[in-house]
Amino acid sequence: MGERTRQVLPSVLSVLLALAVCWLTIALTRDADTATRAYLQMLWGGVGNWPAFLEGGNANAVLRPLGEAAMKAALLTLTGLSVAVAFKVGLFNIGAQGQMIWGALAAALVGAHVSLPAVLHVPLALLAAAAAGAVWSSIAGVLKLKRGVHEVISTIMLNWVAVSLVDNWLVIGPLRAVAEGHQSSITGTAEILSTAQLPRLLGDSSRLNLGFPLALVAALAVWVWLARTRSGYETRAVGLTPEAARAAGIPTLWRAGGAMALAGALAGLAGAVLVLGTEGRYPGTLGAPYGFDGIAIALIGNNHPLGAAVSAAVFGILRAGGTRMQLLGVHKSFPELIQGFALLFVAGRMVWLALLDRRRSRQAAVEVPRA
Amino acid sequence: MLEVLHSLLFSTLDAAPALVFATLGAMLSERAGVVSVGVEGMMRTGAFCAAVAALAMPTPLAVLVGMVAGAGLAAVHGFLSIRWRSDQVVSGMALNLVAMAGGTFLLESLFGPNGTPAITQLSRWNVPTLAHVPLLGALVGHAAPTYLALLLPVLFHVLLTRTPLGLRLRAVGDKPHAVATLGLSVSGLRWAAVLGGGLMAGLGGAVLSTAVLDRFEQHTPAGLGFMALAAMVFGRWTPLGAFAAALFFAFGNALRIGLASSAPWLLELVPQGFLLALPYLLTLLVLALQGQRGHAPAALGTPYEQESR
Amino acid sequence: MSLEDASLDIVPGELLAVVGENGAGKSSLMNVLYGLYHPDAGTFLMDGKPVRLKSPRDAIARGIGMVHQHFMLVPTLTVAENVVLGREPTRRGLLDLDRACDEVAATAKRFGFQLDPRARVDTLTVGSQQKVEIVKALHRGAQVLILDEPTAVLTPQESDELAQVMRGLVQQGRTVVLISHKLKEVLGVADRVAVMRRGRTVAEVRASETTVSALASLMVGEGSRGAALTGVPVTSGADTALTGAVAPDAGTVSTGPIVLDAKDLRAKGDNGRPALQGVSLTVHAGEIVGIAGVDGNGQRELAEVLTGLRVLEGGAGTLLGGPLAGLTPAKAKARGVGHVPEDRLARAVVKAMTVEENVALGRHRQPPFARGPWVDFKGRRERTNQLLATYDVRPPDPTVALQALSGGNQQKVVVARELDADPKLLVVVQPTRGLDIGAVAQVHARLREAKARGAGVVMVSLDLEEVLALSDRVYVLYEGRVTGHFPRKDLDERELGRRMLGAEPDHG
Repeated sequence: MGERTRQVLPSVLSVLLALAVCWLTIALTRDADTATRAYLQMLWGGVGNWPAFLEGGNANAVLRPLGEAAMKAALLTLTGLSVAVAFKVGLFNIGAQGQMIWGALAAALVGAHVSLPAVLHVPLALLAAAAAGAVWSSIAGVLKLKRGVHEVISTIMLNWVAVSLVDNWLVIGPLRAVAEGHQSSITGTAEILSTAQLPRLLGDSSRLNLGFPLALVAALAVWVWLARTRSGYETRAVGLTPEAARAAGIPTLWRAGGAMALAGALAGLAGAVLVLGTEGRYPGTLGAPYGFDGIAIALIGNNHPLGAAVSAAVFGILRAGGTRMQLLGVHKSFPELIQGFALLFVAGRMVWLALLDRRRSRQAAVEVPRA
Repeated sequence: MLEVLHSLLFSTLDAAPALVFATLGAMLSERAGVVSVGVEGMMRTGAFCAAVAALAMPTPLAVLVGMVAGAGLAAVHGFLSIRWRSDQVVSGMALNLVAMAGGTFLLESLFGPNGTPAITQLSRWNVPTLAHVPLLGALVGHAAPTYLALLLPVLFHVLLTRTPLGLRLRAVGDKPHAVATLGLSVSGLRWAAVLGGGLMAGLGGAVLSTAVLDRFEQHTPAGLGFMALAAMVFGRWTPLGAFAAALFFAFGNALRIGLASSAPWLLELVPQGFLLALPYLLTLLVLALQGQRGHAPAALGTPYEQESR
Repeated sequence: MSLEDASLDIVPGELLAVVGENGAGKSSLMNVLYGLYHPDAGTFLMDGKPVRLKSPRDAIARGIGMVHQHFMLVPTLTVAENVVLGREPTRRGLLDLDRACDEVAATAKRFGFQLDPRARVDTLTVGSQQKVEIVKALHRGAQVLILDEPTAVLTPQESDELAQVMRGLVQQGRTVVLISHKLKEVLGVADRVAVMRRGRTVAEVRASETTVSALASLMVGEGSRGAALTGVPVTSGADTALTGAVAPDAGTVSTGPIVLDAKDLRAKGDNGRPALQGVSLTVHAGEIVGIAGVDGNGQRELAEVLTGLRVLEGGAGTLLGGPLAGLTPAKAKARGVGHVPEDRLARAVVKAMTVEENVALGRHRQPPFARGPWVDFKGRRERTNQLLATYDVRPPDPTVALQALSGGNQQKVVVARELDADPKLLVVVQPTRGLDIGAVAQVHARLREAKARGAGVVMVSLDLEEVLALSDRVYVLYEGRVTGHFPRKDLDERELGRRMLGAEPDHG
């Protein structure tokens, strides 16, 4: 079994096992038939109902679901990358949620209150979001590097600080949109200008927007950076053995701090993609714990940038399809359960490897007499 | 003024137990060297199972069911992190996600989005003659968990500092290899601490749905488990410190809620969001000032491997 | 580390020494005796009856105690708490700390140790911590006491004291098993010596009937000994140590240009206490300067100051044409300082990275390892292949993870990398710790080679034999001060030992 197989196989098996366990859950609470049909709905909800489309159906039957899946995948890719990048310097970024909140808020403010042509407005809003996320994650970075405060604790605290300050104060207080006319029940910030919207790529029927290719480019860029550049090499060395990196003359504090800032920037971008791509403003809350999902995505992707993108695509599809499961009375949060179980099984990576090794040695034992 | 204090004290004591139990549970596990970020998920599991069990049995028994459920989740954590030496933070976060999504799924498919049906709350200890005595009266009228929350920190303190088991637990969190060479079982001690922590977290959750509320709600415990981690760190991994921190946070919460109803003008000056953020900001501040390394158990988060020394 | 086919007889009331090279299986065998490891095959008889030790608990119950090479003490607990851990005295279910202290004090007194039962272990010296370990075993009623490399961290004088303790225990009818690779020391104290090689016990001899050189050849084994000796002189071997004299190859005093001139260096240790309290030294090009001392007397900090890893708090110096103050690892590297640190896996390599990535470490910004901001994969591969061949690293595969290599081969990679940079000053700390004899010889040869090429070499070693074998000059450090400075011709082991304990020079 090659090294690469050992890296990938546990993740794949974990996702499959999670799918099987969750199928059983529905089969037990409902019945097997419902479970199977729910899974089919989830698939069609995620990648589109191709059978119906090929029999001459509406193109929207395919485009709309794909757009939803891509949109979810973009958010998951970015938060997953955020967690994965921090992992590369040995830091566990549980704070992607908080960083994403500030990113979303920054994007919403720049999107609504700055007027610029679209070619400048979109990049500026993205930049603001990345900067806001980076600042927030850097607080944890500085606390860790200067004061030795464990980042798991500090990022958890910072998440709650962000939620409290933004959701429970800023967007219901000073930054709340001024109601126009008779619309008095607005929650969240003002609507962004049309110049700040991420362009849709497949027309109006699908919500697929620039955010998805942006996320893929980010994944690719992070991978190239880590694998092929000097500073990426230094970053990995710092994460694996910080003392050896320091002894080798690598500026370890800058590399670790830089990776943590980049992690925050990526989570901030996720916030921007949510606001500029679909929501149009900072809603009352982010609506879903994308930052925590990022932990699952990164770990299921084995902390590899491209692995994170792949696992984000898989769960993007499942989660876009989750809404379709409601037709059968299965709650739309069901894919999150699958994701949770997949992470749990990935956490047992050692168990998988032990099982795989035992299998291999049994095979070897069988092969010996023949040889 | 006295009345305000009285009601603040009363609501603090009423709300604190869940946080106190969860904090003690997290601390127990971490003192033995096993990271406990999964406490939120264990609380949720305990809260859900207690609420469901209370539909079919007396509420005090249902609380026990909640405790066992918390320990059940902790057992998964133990299996992954003790038996298989997995990353303890990963395992804990995975349990949080499973409990989060699983709780929602089960709630919605069994009962619908508004939470479980109402159950009989734990009964309160009413002493009418005392109830109106200023301050002292704030001590009565609570359910059993409140009194347990005043007692358990002391018991935990005695356990950790004055019993052989406590000595061994502290040793295993600081230097597991030393414990192993004396013929004691590192994994046995860690299992005990993790399961004990699960029982406590489950109790914390069960209290939420049987004493604070009368059902399991969609978002229970709404981050209380993470606040327990803050209280544990704030209390420097000691039972009495953790108790003081948990009480302090609960007091802050009571103060915030009290202000919202009695002095809304004050909340115009100090936004509610600030008050919500305060416990976390304070924890961050304390950590920033003292650094964390001095107080955390030395082997915290490090899987025990016999051969690596 | 493994055991092949090891047999050992232990007779009551004797002092048995088990000797062998690093990796010969001494510690593994003892861990089996102590129930920590479980043998795949074989039997264990006690008083003629077969016994199965499932855990240290069984071993303790049968009167076996062990003092591990790395102390097994909980630093945050007190002496008494450490000693009674696992068999705590209780009163009404609660821990009875007073009784624990009394009991521990009594045990310590019975065996002549001075220990404060209420002191926290992390405040004690290394020597005292070792006593706590011994008391811990005796307190459990150990009849057989196993000591694993107990003198590795002690001064010669402390070692003498330990020898008396061991003899005393034997006189009281207890059995002591001493594991060591220091042959001279072993012969001075043991009744019987068992020799291990590659996981087997190859000989058992009476101490009075053998010599250091006979033991050494048993340890090394004829075949590998020949191979080791054809390359370069074997230094950890017996001859130099036995005579206390100096190998004949040296005595030269380098008059090359000064590469390091340091005055009154001061620095703090990791614990915040002063570790260097005014160290002055000079190093010339083309010489090996040994730094001797008992572990923890500032040697490590000195090496760290010279390589930019530790902040200099006071004093000044010139290092390769630049000031010593404000030195960083990057600046040190740029000036031509090479570094072979003590803790290889923590400081010198990234074990999860490949061999070629480790060869690049530290020079990864320059050709042939980089081109602009990009990693130069081709150049890195070529240079790595070259070095692996030159230094005989096995397997010579640049793409395997470094952790897949043996300790000796890992060290060869580190030495290859540092010497490939052609350093003007080479700082090496414990360069051969944990290596087998062949690798030791190679590393020593490379250090001499570096010296011959004109590098100044600062070598910190806790192994006095190594210091004596390689150094042209020796500085002795004690509590962060230089307590002795000897050119090669004046080197004397006993005198070095006295200085390592802080004795002032009096006679000679």
